[in-house]
Amino acid sequence: MKNIYVLAEHRKGTLRDTTWEALAAARTLAPQFGAEITCILLSNDASTISDRLVQEFSKVIAIEDPSLETFNSDACIKCLVSILGDKSDYLLLMGNSNSVIELAPGLSITLDAALATDCFGFDVVDGALCALRQIYSYKVNALVSFKGAAKMVATLRSGSFPFTPTAQAGGSVEKMESPLKSEKLRKVFVSYEEAEKGDVDISTAEIIVSVGRGIGDEPDMDVYQSLADTVGGVLACSRPIVDKNLLPKYHQVGTSGIEVKPKIYLALGISGAFQHVGGIKGSPLIIAVNKDARAPIFRVAQYGVVADINDMVPALEEKIKEIKG
Amino acid sequence: MKIITCMKWIPDTSEAELSIASGGKDIKKDDLDYDLNDWDRFAIEEAVQLKEKYDGEVTAISVAPEDAEEMLRECLARGADEAFQIWNDAFEGSDGFVIARALAEFIRKRPFDIIVTGTLAEDDGGGQVGGMLGAMLGVPSATLVSRIEIADGKARFRRELEGGLYENIEMELPAVISVATGLNEPRFVSIRAVRKVASIDIPTVDLDELGLDESQVGHSGSRISVEKVFLPPEGEGAEIIKGSTEEAAARLAEILKEKGVL
Ligand SMILES: Cc1cc2nc3c(=O)[nH]c(=O)nc-3n(C[C@H](O)[C@H](O)[C@H](O)COP(=O)(O)OP(=O)(O)OC[C@H]3O[C@@H](n4cnc5c(N)ncnc54)[C@H](O)[C@@H]3O)c2cc1C
Repeated sequence: MKNIYVLAEHRKGTLRDTTWEALAAARTLAPQFGAEITCILLSNDASTISDRLVQEFSKVIAIEDPSLETFNSDACIKCLVSILGDKSDYLLLMGNSNSVIELAPGLSITLDAALATDCFGFDVVDGALCALRQIYSYKVNALVSFKGAAKMVATLRSGSFPFTPTAQAGGSVEKMESPLKSEKLRKVFVSYEEAEKGDVDISTAEIIVSVGRGIGDEPDMDVYQSLADTVGGVLACSRPIVDKNLLPKYHQVGTSGIEVKPKIYLALGISGAFQHVGGIKGSPLIIAVNKDARAPIFRVAQYGVVADINDMVPALEEKIKEIKG
Repeated sequence: MKIITCMKWIPDTSEAELSIASGGKDIKKDDLDYDLNDWDRFAIEEAVQLKEKYDGEVTAISVAPEDAEEMLRECLARGADEAFQIWNDAFEGSDGFVIARALAEFIRKRPFDIIVTGTLAEDDGGGQVGGMLGAMLGVPSATLVSRIEIADGKARFRRELEGGLYENIEMELPAVISVATGLNEPRFVSIRAVRKVASIDIPTVDLDELGLDESQVGHSGSRISVEKVFLPPEGEGAEIIKGSTEEAAARLAEILKEKGVL
């Protein structure tokens, strides 16, 4: 591959970290292939955002258009095709953000490129790029090849490619004509909406008892609320618990829920999917109870018990009561 | 309104003990239970709710082997009007691109207003099929959609961003909409409801009807290929507390006390 392109991602006028993580991945890969790194910026106001980009990228290709203010996958595909359509021998890197989750698949078809999503690492096997992904409920790692494709797109799991700024690139911006002027977009942004707030704020809680799908289909929520009360904490949960309407959305921990930073996070019957764990990175002590010894949660927890929560929860509450006297 | 919904049949791996199959390119699947992908359960429910609200018909499709007929039958019981099963053994090992391609070839000949899929599946976690299908059919697509309304030939929907933020979008139809979990409450399907649809024929569709040949599907037709799978080392990370329930509970309580939270 001769070129590595990094898509700059922004929201509400600010660059998102996914941009820098993609650059971090590009910087480790570029020397191995002798590839050149170029940033692609699609925005309504390129000059403001590109100031920061040229400190890290020697080359930025920018398209400016009012409809690029928010991330519109329809508009982005058109712009990316106008930039990359006639190119070959490249890798396009983007963060696997919720915006890119929408963009990448359709884009790969329009560019006729091979796509690997949600990659947490790369490897080079016999001179060819391979991506590392997680499959089967995030319990198995897979090394995936692009089968020699000359056009590759990879989206990157957040937190997997730590970035160190250099602020030395002194790069330049090449502006390209917007291809959107003459075309009507099939999709338009209407407004942002915030999730409803509730009577508890788990983001500031010091102790969190969090429950996952392991509590079963018809759980007695009082059992878990009671444990939370006994330890003096609040009750939180993984996404499936909200999906099943067992708790309101403002109890959900994770990338699409709330980021928490308690002193203690007790995870009960939670597998530890990356999107969940993304919400508890700020917790110094994670304790997990799960009946599956291979549950990914044990890789981020400090203490683990391989047990059935139906046995463990009442026993634990009893012991805590004994200690508290 | 013509609604098509695409369903995936996947092994349930969330609690199962997994091991690597010989050859090292997949896990052993013989002992795993298969079921409808959780995200797709929300997709079929949304398809049926759209039909109930705006009038129409729901067609459920899956690229899946024989055993998956029960899943499509369940889709009929959930309210789909017809179901089709696309399969040939050559599909074994297909990536998202191949699945999208097969679906696109099948759907190309049928008029539709909206295609509803799940955003991703919990087996390969690729999240590729919905968006690829849209691009192949030349219609717009959206993912992680958590509310849908249809008006004036357009879909107005809400999609999930990070950290509790959503965006409201308006999109022309026809289109592909891939839903997020939790956007509805999938209905309970009783055995009686399944029995009621027992006599409905679920036609199978083979490669020739799609205009595809064996080399265009399975491993050979895929754009990415799994070279190796491996289990991350067990126990890396947490200190595992051993002992009886009683002992482990006591130790946990002690840890909480040591940390000064009790
Ligand atoms: C874009 C996107 C955003 C997402 N955002 C979030 C988010 O914000 N928050 C979030 O949580 N998820 C999120 N997810 C979903 C995430 O990928 C996982 O599907 C989810 O976190 C799984 O929840 P879980 O651990 O409760 O369930 P599962 O993965 O099903 O795990 C259940 C666990 O319980 C264990 N178990 C079962 N029974 C028992 C028992 N009796 N005793 C002990 N253990 C038991 C099992 O071994 C298993 O490990 C998101 C996904 C996507 C694609």
